[in-house]
Amino acid sequence: MRNRDNIQHLLEHLQTTEEKELQFNKEAIIAAYQKSRYHQSLTIKILSVLGGILASLAFLGFLFIAGLYNSSTGQLILGTICIAGAIGINRKYDKILMDTLSVSFFIIGFILLGFGLGKLQMTGSTISIAFILIAIFTLCVVQNYMLSFVSVLIMNGSILTLIILNKAYDLIHIYVAAFALFITYLFLKEARIITAGKALSRLYDPVKTGVILSFLAGLICLGKRGILPVSPDYIWLSSVIIIATIIYWEFTLFRLLNTTKSSQKIIICIFTALTLLPTVLSPAIPGALLIILLSFLVNYKTGLVLGIMAFIYFISQYYYDLNFTLLTKSLLLFSSGIFFTALYLFTHKKLAANEKI
Amino acid sequence: MQHIQREDIYIISRYSSLTEQGTDKALKENVYNNKEAWQKFLQLFFISLGIGFMASGIVFFFAYNWADLHRFAKMGLIELLIVVTTCLVCLHKINITTRNIILTGSAILVGALFAVFGQVYQTGANAYDFFLAWTLFITLWVIISGFAPLWLLYLLLINTTFILYAQQVAGNWSEVFVFTLLFIINAAVPVTAILISRYRKTVNIPGWFLNTVALAAVTYATIGIIIGIFDDYKTSLPVLILLASIAFASGIWHGLKAKSIFYLSTIPFSLIVIGAALLIKISDGEMMFLLVSLFIIASVTLVIKTLIDIQKKWKNEK
Repeated sequence: MRNRDNIQHLLEHLQTTEEKELQFNKEAIIAAYQKSRYHQSLTIKILSVLGGILASLAFLGFLFIAGLYNSSTGQLILGTICIAGAIGINRKYDKILMDTLSVSFFIIGFILLGFGLGKLQMTGSTISIAFILIAIFTLCVVQNYMLSFVSVLIMNGSILTLIILNKAYDLIHIYVAAFALFITYLFLKEARIITAGKALSRLYDPVKTGVILSFLAGLICLGKRGILPVSPDYIWLSSVIIIATIIYWEFTLFRLLNTTKSSQKIIICIFTALTLLPTVLSPAIPGALLIILLSFLVNYKTGLVLGIMAFIYFISQYYYDLNFTLLTKSLLLFSSGIFFTALYLFTHKKLAANEKI
Repeated sequence: MQHIQREDIYIISRYSSLTEQGTDKALKENVYNNKEAWQKFLQLFFISLGIGFMASGIVFFFAYNWADLHRFAKMGLIELLIVVTTCLVCLHKINITTRNIILTGSAILVGALFAVFGQVYQTGANAYDFFLAWTLFITLWVIISGFAPLWLLYLLLINTTFILYAQQVAGNWSEVFVFTLLFIINAAVPVTAILISRYRKTVNIPGWFLNTVALAAVTYATIGIIIGIFDDYKTSLPVLILLASIAFASGIWHGLKAKSIFYLSTIPFSLIVIGAALLIKISDGEMMFLLVSLFIIASVTLVIKTLIDIQKKWKNEK
């Protein structure tokens, strides 16, 4: 927790980054610190979500045994009350203590609404669209961390469901490509988004985490064979866009590492493109790489860990699925190994040379 | 002054005239990784990929089981590779992290060697004794290196060996007993590690490693106790409950002392899950499920409230 002195120091420090005199509302800042989730570590967030999910499952058990699932009107009314209640609780008191309660209500509300709408002979697609609309509405009305996070997941889960239900499997490439672009924008323009308005600033964190998970879900659909019957004709589409974003990302890195020579930049970009070329038919690998690189750039640990785990998984899956003999696979793997070790030795030498100067 | 964090910039930007450029600069200077961090990261990334790919390439090569290659050639080749990599590890010129990564590669090759041995002499590749041999023969390296990822591999091997042993040899062991032993094995690691780092300050064990192993131990205990609750009388259940209570109590104590929120949230969550299972065991009527739902919400909220209060106290102590 920051005290008044701390905050004063902070403001003075931040003044140094500004050209003009910094205007601020100190009382509001202190109040915001009181209310903020400064203390809320990742562990507590996970605890809230897990608790919410378990409680919703138990509640679902209650509904089934009690036979309440027979009445569609009852479900619709109760579902709406639950969702409205969750939103209402958060609008009224945005307290961390209310998180588990409101997440449970929110999830239960969606489950009830889903059942209720299903009873009314609505198709899965209509229900998914309804879910997407409710999730967007929630994001507009409350910017509480937990509800926003869950809303993002529900929204993207519904989009994936729409794709699957309508057998428009190739749209998954557009889903993945759009997310790759969106995530890159989100990470590289952090300052622009959080200064664009209070609502966006509050939504930034939960949306970032939610979007990474949704992107990973899309990548899993592409990375593991047999989940979706994706036609091989378009599989390059998403990888080309992801690889292009990685190359775009490199320009941010160039500025950071003070690389100014154009020739060097061009060589590195071509080199990256060539290195990633073998993964064109497997967009999940560059996708996970993009998450790792962006997360490390902005020092976002959760994303980094998720990215590394996904990266290892997708690479193993890639080699497992390859239709070559084990011998060819072994040669491919071994030469990739030599390639990266050489890259390590090369960069190591370069850095050592720089240090001597 | 404390270090400026992302949250500080977020909150202040909301209630001040901080511009996009100013925020960007503040983020880059205080939060984002700098040039040195990038250089380190890229180096580590390349060498991990390099060694990882090479080791898996070698494993795949032997998995191919080339018929034309004489069995002595196969084993000789892999032994040669182990000797070469282990010699590399002894070179003081290479930096220590790189050497540790290479040693992890050699540890994987030892597995490949035993797999080839199993292939040649038809001992089967998923028998528990294969994993047992692999585990035993890398023990020294694991201890000497003190490299957390290698330790994690080692524990993974111990767990695998044990689970396979329970399945293939000790078929008459009850599930609860197996989970009790798994719990003991995994809980022993963080307990020992914490004791060692208390008496020898030079030992530095990364938190993520301890947390991963502790999480495994807590999960085993929770699953074991829940199976015990729903199955009929099992002799090992009281033992598991006793051991778990001792371990959980010391975990909470350690969490409070070391100011680790991880133990203080994992252990109560495990207790909540066990509590919910107990309630369902008492009755599985509809009202009980409603009660369980409310119980989970209330108890998780209570845990979070306590955690926030504790954290506030810690911050004020600083």
